[in-house]
Amino acid sequence: MQASQFLASVLDQTTPILLAALAAMITTRANILNVAVEGMMLVAAFVAIAVGEATNDVALAFSCAVLAAILMSLLFGFVAIVFQADFIVAGLGLNILAAGGTLFVLEEFYQDPGGLRPDHFPDIWHVPSGSLDWAPVIGPAIERQSFIVLLALALAPLSALLLYRTPLGYSLRAVGEDEQAARAVGIHVVRMKLFAVAASGLLAGLAGAQLAMDRLHFFLPDMTAGRGFIGLAATLFGGGLPWATTGAAFLFGFFGALGDRLQLLQAPSQLVLMAPYLAATLGLVVARWRAAARNRPAPIASAET
Amino acid sequence: MTGETKRLARAIAGPVAIVAAVLAGGFVLVLIISSDPVTAYRDLLFANFYSRSNFALFVNRTMPLLLIGLGVVFSFRAGVFNVGGEGQLYFGAMAAAAAALALPSAPFPLGALASIGAAIAAGALWGWIPGVLKVRLDVNEVVSTLMLNFIALLTTEYLVTNPLRDQTAYGAVSFVIPRGAWIPEIPGLPGATSGAVVAVLIAPLAWLALFRTEWGANLRAAGSNMRFAEAVGVDAGKQIIIAMLISGGLSGLAGAFYVLGIGHRFEQNFSPAFGLIGLTVALLARLHPIGVLATAAFYALVLNGAAYMQIDTDVPRSIVGLLTGFLVLFMTARPRRGLIAV
Repeated sequence: MQASQFLASVLDQTTPILLAALAAMITTRANILNVAVEGMMLVAAFVAIAVGEATNDVALAFSCAVLAAILMSLLFGFVAIVFQADFIVAGLGLNILAAGGTLFVLEEFYQDPGGLRPDHFPDIWHVPSGSLDWAPVIGPAIERQSFIVLLALALAPLSALLLYRTPLGYSLRAVGEDEQAARAVGIHVVRMKLFAVAASGLLAGLAGAQLAMDRLHFFLPDMTAGRGFIGLAATLFGGGLPWATTGAAFLFGFFGALGDRLQLLQAPSQLVLMAPYLAATLGLVVARWRAAARNRPAPIASAET
Repeated sequence: MTGETKRLARAIAGPVAIVAAVLAGGFVLVLIISSDPVTAYRDLLFANFYSRSNFALFVNRTMPLLLIGLGVVFSFRAGVFNVGGEGQLYFGAMAAAAAALALPSAPFPLGALASIGAAIAAGALWGWIPGVLKVRLDVNEVVSTLMLNFIALLTTEYLVTNPLRDQTAYGAVSFVIPRGAWIPEIPGLPGATSGAVVAVLIAPLAWLALFRTEWGANLRAAGSNMRFAEAVGVDAGKQIIIAMLISGGLSGLAGAFYVLGIGHRFEQNFSPAFGLIGLTVALLARLHPIGVLATAAFYALVLNGAAYMQIDTDVPRSIVGLLTGFLVLFMTARPRRGLIAV
């Protein structure tokens, strides 16, 4: 029981990070460092709550959230790829736009800069409790998880399939490896990059929807709290490889869950909240350390002399 | 002479055009949502000059943006995409407050100087970490500085809600620091910290150091082409680390000036994302130290102006965040026909 509770908590923590990591991964493979996942997630979370409150239609809220994130990603792609802006600056701009825009809408239309808390909010589909009794430990951990969690778990292998087993994936990776060469063999580079960015928007939209719609059913201006950046760190930690990236997302989610557990032991909440950021930073350092050790050339005659 | 002026004019034209376009777009938005758009925009742009106390607040707001912006100039000129200004600022502010509280009986200049020293060291440390990680292990500095921001903010929040918490005050604030650590106001401008004067003086010094010394040339060489720099005998890694120390130190100094000259205590929510705005300001100035003077003042003007606007009219201040988003999003965009020179 203890184990499956902890596993459920790990899944909780991991899902948004995993989706953000996959979002960052797919653009990384097209050679775009995507810091804008954070902003796309935030917009999705806001739209999910705003539409759900207005219509009480859960499917509509979910679709609008994902669609909004895709539109944000296309705006980012348009500026960074078509207009060739620096994609880190443009990505940070998108994040500022997302934070400023949602706050502006909160103040202007809801008269409450503190957040949006509907009295009623439709519930999304969760795995019915008791339906997975037959599976020890894992079953109870998956029960009561939202369908977005299941989707995220499925998207990890699917993204590997996309990248390594489809012509689209080949083209996308070719663009990421060598743009000139890709162009020379007739790959439409701009279109490929826009596809990667749009896919990241879709994944970021799922992450934002999960954050807002799974249990909380409200929106707060700083709700994403850097999960998009942690996802990016997971991607870099995993070297842009689907399985390693997924593993890194689970690792950071594990530390998040561990932090939650420590809170029960009266550890200060700030140190608990710090756990995934610390894990991501240290993880990145370790990953680069190993890469540096691997790539270090064999010692030759000292260059100084 | 004319060539120089022309180059300067061209360098200024781009940022001015972008700012004008965003302000114009903002005015259209205000026209749509507000019943009193003229008052709103007048407040946004001019309310800082309505009274001496408004102007003092404007000066105080310029100070951190200017220092962080100058720090960003150093790091970016050395080729490091330092997004960690916020964390460096917070660590500096916390170090200043902690040092001042640890030395309750230090007389005036000593207490302040010790606090400033501690703040610069703390900020520089928080810049040094991503610098070293980039040089030694090729860890991406965008991600490492973003992570370090969260770690710094959570660390200061822990400190200010536990050991340094002033129980008698509302919110997450530290005890008031002893008088010996306060830095003076600008004479004739009550409430405005003299730290702002120091910040303004640092801008031309930064320009001299970067553009009129061999050291600055080496630093910029490391930033523009690392391999070339190494080939002509510049230790690019060392330049990068030095640039990050300066960058973090300047942000830390901003934190010290805030605590010692404005808040007189550490407040967890003292920064409305100064780090990100400082970055915006530096990029808007095309990474030119003198340009940062202008862009930092402009942003301070608009940030404070928005607050007056919200009081007087029905336009929310977050419109500045919204417009800043568009500004940064499009700032480095290159329209095909060179409408805006980059």
